[in-house]
Amino acid sequence: MPLPLYYYLSITAVNILMSWALYLPYRVAHLHFITIANMAISGYAAGYLVMSLHVPFGWALATGFILGGLIGYVVSRFIGDAPTFAVVIVGFTFIFITRTVIQNLPAVGGTMGMFGLPNIGGNPESHRVIILAILYAMVVVVGWLIHRFDHSRLGRAASAVFVDPDLAASLGINRKKLGMLVQTASCTIAGGSGVLYGFIYKSFHLDFFTFALVGIFMTVIFVGGYATLWGTVVIAPILYGVPLLLPSEIQEWRVVIYGALLILVLVLKPEGFITPRFVRSIETFLSGKRRKRNISLKEVT
Amino acid sequence: MKRLIGVLVLVLFAAALGFGQAKAVVNEWQVPFLNCLTGPIAAIGEFLEWGAEYAAKEINASGGIAGKPVKVVPIDTALDPQKGSVEMARIVKDSLVAMGPVPEPVIMAAMPIAVEAGMMSMTATTSLEYAQKFFPWTVSFLPPTEQRLATIVTAWAKEFPDIKQAVQFVVPYGPWPGMAAAHVKALQELNIQVLGQVDVPDDAVTFGPLVVKALEEKPDGIILVTHGEQAAKIIKELKNRGWKKMNHILVFSSADDAQLYSTGGADLNGVQVYNYINLDISNPRWDAFKAAFAKDHNGMAPFSLAPNYYDALYMIKEAIEKTGVTGDPSKLAEERKKIADYCANVQNFHGLLFNWDMKDGIPTNKPNYIFEIQDGKKKLVKEVR
Repeated sequence: MPLPLYYYLSITAVNILMSWALYLPYRVAHLHFITIANMAISGYAAGYLVMSLHVPFGWALATGFILGGLIGYVVSRFIGDAPTFAVVIVGFTFIFITRTVIQNLPAVGGTMGMFGLPNIGGNPESHRVIILAILYAMVVVVGWLIHRFDHSRLGRAASAVFVDPDLAASLGINRKKLGMLVQTASCTIAGGSGVLYGFIYKSFHLDFFTFALVGIFMTVIFVGGYATLWGTVVIAPILYGVPLLLPSEIQEWRVVIYGALLILVLVLKPEGFITPRFVRSIETFLSGKRRKRNISLKEVT
Repeated sequence: MKRLIGVLVLVLFAAALGFGQAKAVVNEWQVPFLNCLTGPIAAIGEFLEWGAEYAAKEINASGGIAGKPVKVVPIDTALDPQKGSVEMARIVKDSLVAMGPVPEPVIMAAMPIAVEAGMMSMTATTSLEYAQKFFPWTVSFLPPTEQRLATIVTAWAKEFPDIKQAVQFVVPYGPWPGMAAAHVKALQELNIQVLGQVDVPDDAVTFGPLVVKALEEKPDGIILVTHGEQAAKIIKELKNRGWKKMNHILVFSSADDAQLYSTGGADLNGVQVYNYINLDISNPRWDAFKAAFAKDHNGMAPFSLAPNYYDALYMIKEAIEKTGVTGDPSKLAEERKKIADYCANVQNFHGLLFNWDMKDGIPTNKPNYIFEIQDGKKKLVKEVR
């Protein structure tokens, strides 16, 4: 596999996973930016385990997932049913705190960062194969779980909370527990993604985990469509890949194009490009079946 | 389902084609330059690019490299590690040598790819502490931080025996805390008491409280390890709060940029700043460079990093010519190694401002300069080696 394609596919997978990590809490109207801090915390922790304590990568990755989930769970006990704005503030604050703590930890390289993460599998080729395999296995598993969630009673409850939290509560939906569930799941995904993100680059630097990532993932969700997980799958590879193929003269305008695209989508198609209805029509097309028409009594007669 | 698989296969095939490599270069030396041409430090990226392009023009005007023209291929990484890694992965297959990446986050994401491929990529603007992690596939343009900065700060502090205690303002970015630590070591060796360090948030916009905190310690000298604009604002606040001894303020090299002067204005008069380029040096190449830079930059003088990629391209030229590198794609690995080995130990390299030697990728005898600012201009106080 060409090297650029490896980097493209692996980073795209991280972007998909992280966009889903934001999508999931957004199902209950939470913009949970703490996930970016989770990426950094779990990533640096796994890097430290592998580099300094010589813990096998598999255990370090598992630790990254657990650490992410644990932090997500503890925080969600306080903000599981908080309003959107409060969740946003907690997320931003957490990013600042995390950056400051890491900056002051010489054990993980402080402001310099962490260099020379080893190849998993002993050589660069194996490393790439293993990283890609883990990432896309994660994409499949997480995607399947989110798909199941979206089509379950919990998913419908989440939709009700999104539309009207008070009405949802009056229907007997436990908003806090639902919020805790999606926030913990989201942070678990982010923890694992953070570990893999660093192992793609074989290094960690605090500037890998900046607010720029929030911008990327938000654009993916809102341009792709926040009402279905498929929007992320379609738009993440396009938003990351297309600019790489553009001539440099156009690349300079990349940020302007992103901004204009986001504004246009929010104004003209607030649900994003991929809507649940669009997904259903694609499913019908790919299955080769035609939807049964509802034949009215008038047509029969 | 069959249709879905068909679509997926087509997408993967198209992606593989799209990420194919550029053609091998034999009639023209193409040197990719991974730089930040857009994004938060695009202004710096512009003059780094300008320096490299200017060197290419000069080289081509005098016959090219080993008789072939050279072309700098600008590649924008936009300060984005995600983009930087893919761009580096694109160039490592065929390129003989590259320049960049810029700055540290992109270096950390992209340089491991160059190291793995055995291709030299000159990170000419970062500190030794970053560059040496990727030796021998890059070189450092700066000597060890502790050695270099300790000498400068010692020279500055010796000018003013009345400095008994000092404070530093430090932005916790990349190598800067390490640079501040080198300052501290030098001051302590002169028995100057180093008072509490004032941490300046990277995104700070108001500096009054930070300056009050520093002045409460009653320092005699102040060192600023911050961005240029931040340094200017801190100096203004210090002046507003009664600080008189302006030459007892020392600004570190990375802050010596256009924003320092445009923001600081006349309040900078008397402040000292250290750097490793000296605008007062006169030689035909440097004079021509300064004139051309001023012409393309509204009359401004070259900034501190402007000559780095000019020198980097000339070092590549020298390495190619002295080692007999041909650019033959079949000898790519061997010739890449020749260039890296040559640059790591180049002797008496004719840089834009002065000549220097390298030993194992580290410059051994580059001078540094301390200046005093007067009316937006720097007046040389002393050269430090």
